[in-house]
Amino acid sequence: MTGMAGRLRAAADAVAMRAAAVLLGAGCVIWAALPPAHRGYAGFALTVAVAGVAGGGLRLALTAVPVPEESYLLSAGLRAWRAFPAVVRQVPWEEGALVAIVWLEVLHPARPWHTALLGAGLIAYLLVTHLAETDAPLATLRPQARVLGVGAVLLALGAGAGMLPAAGPGAGSALLRLVAAGALIAAAGLVLPYVARRLPRAGRGDLAGMYNRRQGTTQRRAGPDG
Amino acid sequence: MIPNGPGVPAPGTERELHWRSSRHARRLLTLGLAGLFVAVLARRPEFAGLAAPALLLLVAGRVQRRPPRITMSARPSSRRVFEGERLAVDVVADGAGECAVRWRLHPGLEIAPVGAAAADGQRVRFVVTPERWGRRQLGALEVTLRDRWRLAEGHVSMPLPSIDCYPAPAQQRTTVVLRRLPNRLGEHPARVSGEGIEFSGVREYVPGDRQRSINWPASTRRGRLQVNTFAAERSQDVVLLVDATSDVGIPGSSALDLALRGAGAAARAYTDARDRVGVITYQWGGTSWRPPGLGRRQVYRIIDSMLASTLPADTGGWERGGSFARLPRAALPPGALVVVFSPLLDQRFVEALRDMRERGFTMLVVDVLNTEPPARRRAEDRMARRIWRMEQEAIRFSLRELGVPVVHWDGEESLDLPLAAHTRRPMAAWR
Repeated sequence: MTGMAGRLRAAADAVAMRAAAVLLGAGCVIWAALPPAHRGYAGFALTVAVAGVAGGGLRLALTAVPVPEESYLLSAGLRAWRAFPAVVRQVPWEEGALVAIVWLEVLHPARPWHTALLGAGLIAYLLVTHLAETDAPLATLRPQARVLGVGAVLLALGAGAGMLPAAGPGAGSALLRLVAAGALIAAAGLVLPYVARRLPRAGRGDLAGMYNRRQGTTQRRAGPDG
Repeated sequence: MIPNGPGVPAPGTERELHWRSSRHARRLLTLGLAGLFVAVLARRPEFAGLAAPALLLLVAGRVQRRPPRITMSARPSSRRVFEGERLAVDVVADGAGECAVRWRLHPGLEIAPVGAAAADGQRVRFVVTPERWGRRQLGALEVTLRDRWRLAEGHVSMPLPSIDCYPAPAQQRTTVVLRRLPNRLGEHPARVSGEGIEFSGVREYVPGDRQRSINWPASTRRGRLQVNTFAAERSQDVVLLVDATSDVGIPGSSALDLALRGAGAAARAYTDARDRVGVITYQWGGTSWRPPGLGRRQVYRIIDSMLASTLPADTGGWERGGSFARLPRAALPPGALVVVFSPLLDQRFVEALRDMRERGFTMLVVDVLNTEPPARRRAEDRMARRIWRMEQEAIRFSLRELGVPVVHWDGEESLDLPLAAHTRRPMAAWR
C-alpha cells in the first residue's frame, strides 16, 4: 500500500514539475510578447517561442513513455514511434525558445523592470525544466540558492542601470551607460559571492539565532551565581 | 522471491568518466550569450542584467570538483535462474563524491526489468527476469554523474555479467518404469522377488527363511509353513534424447523450448525416483552427451549439457556425425529406457531412432510439434499442407509399428497426462 502510495506521489510530483515547466515557459512567452509588436519578424519570433516551449513540454512528457525494443520485425508504425521520441529529444527546443523570447522582448521599447522580471522567469523556467527532465526534487537546487540570490541582485542592478537617464544625446552616451552597467554588474558579481559566503547561515546566524545565542551566552555568563 | 546469493561483495572495476556540459548548462549559456549580445547591440543595460544570473551560475559551477573515475561493481543474486524467476542485481558506485549518481538499465535480449529501469543513488538494486532459456547477457548499465550544480555530466557505461537461464521445467510426477530392470538397488519394484516392501506372493518355507516373514493365515490353511515374498527394488537407467535440430513455432513455446522443458521435468522426476539419468542432445553435425548419474546435481548437469551442447562438458562428450551407433556404452547403457523429446521433423533423426530401436533399446517418444505450415488459400498450398500432415502421420505410424510409442505433448498440461498410459504399468522392454 505504501509502495503504491509512494509511486502515485512520485508520479504526481513528476507531472506537476512538467506542468510547471510548460506553464513557466508559456508565461515567459506571453510576458515578452505583450503588447504585440509588429516589426522585426515579431510573428516569426513568437511562432518559434511557442514551438520551442511546446516542443520542450512534449520532450518532457515523452521521457516517461516506454519505447518499443529494437527489433528487425517492427512494423512501420512502431518504427516511426521509435524514431519520433529520438527526434524530439535531439532538438534543442528550450534554446530556441530562449532566443525567440529575448528577441520578442528586445522588439519593445526599453522597460527595465519588465525585462528583469522576464529574466527571473526565464531562469525559473530553465531550472524547473532541468528538474523535470532529471526527475530531481526541488531540494537539488539548495546548494545554488545563494548564487541565485546574488543573481537576483545582479538582475535588479541591470534593471536599475537601464532606468538611469542617458548622460547626453547620441550613441556614445548609450554605449557609455551600457559599459557602466556592465562594470557594475561584473563588480557586484565578483564581490557578492564573497560577501554571501561570509554571511552567517540561516538558523545559526540569522537575527533570531544571533539573539538567541546572545541570550544563552548572557544566561551562561550569569550562571548559578545569578 | 529473490535469492540473496552469497554475501561477498563483487570486485569493483575502475572506469573513467567522460565529463561534458549538461543540457542545463547549455541552456544557461544560451540565455547568457543572448542577453549579452542584445545588450551590446541594442545598448540596453537591462539585458546585461538578464544575462547576469545565468552567467553567474555557469561561472560559480565551474569551480566544482569532479571525480575523473569511479569504481563500479555489479553483483547478480544468482548466476543460474529458471525462466520467469526474478533476479536482483546490486550495483554500487564508489568514489562519486558529492555527485548525484543516476543509473539506467538497458536490459539484454529476453531480459525484462521488473519495476523501474532507472534509479538514483550510489547503491541501487535492479530486479530483472529472464524470459527465455539460454546464456543471457543481463544488459548494460549507463551511469550518469551530475555535479552539485548540475552543470556537468559524467557518463560511463558498464556491461552486466551473463547468467545461465534454465528452461522452466514442466510438471511431471509419475515415471515410466521398464519391466526388465538391471540388477541394481533402487525404488522400482521388479518382477523378481527380493528384499523390497511390495508384497509379491506366498511360497513354502525353506530353512533359512526369516521367522518374521511367515504368513500364519496361509500356513494354517495349507497345513505347512508359508512365507511372504516381496518384490525386489531396482533402479533403471534413463537416457533423455533431445532433438535440437528443429526449432519451429512461436518463440517461448517452440518445439525446442518444449523439448528442453520436458527433458528438464523428466530429469527431475527420474532422479527423484533414484534412477540414473543421462542426456543426449542431437543436433546438426553431431551429438553431445552426458552419461547417466544420480542425484539432484545431475539435473543441473543435464540442463547445462543441453544448453551448452556444442561444447564438450567436463565429464560428458561430443560425437561427430548423426548416428548414435558410435556413442560409448557410458552414454547409452544397454537396457536403458530412452525418452525422446522431438518434433520428428528431421528425417535423419527419425532414422537414428529406428536404428536404436533395432538395436533393442526401449524407447518412448514425446512429440513436441505444436505448429503447422501456414494455411493459405491456393490449392497448391492446401495440397502441400495436406501432404505434409500425411507425411508426419506416416512417420509416427512407422515408429509405432516398430514398437516405439509416440505421445503428443502441447507444453501446457502436465507431462503426466500424455504419459499416463505408460506410467500405470511397467513398460515392456521389447526385443
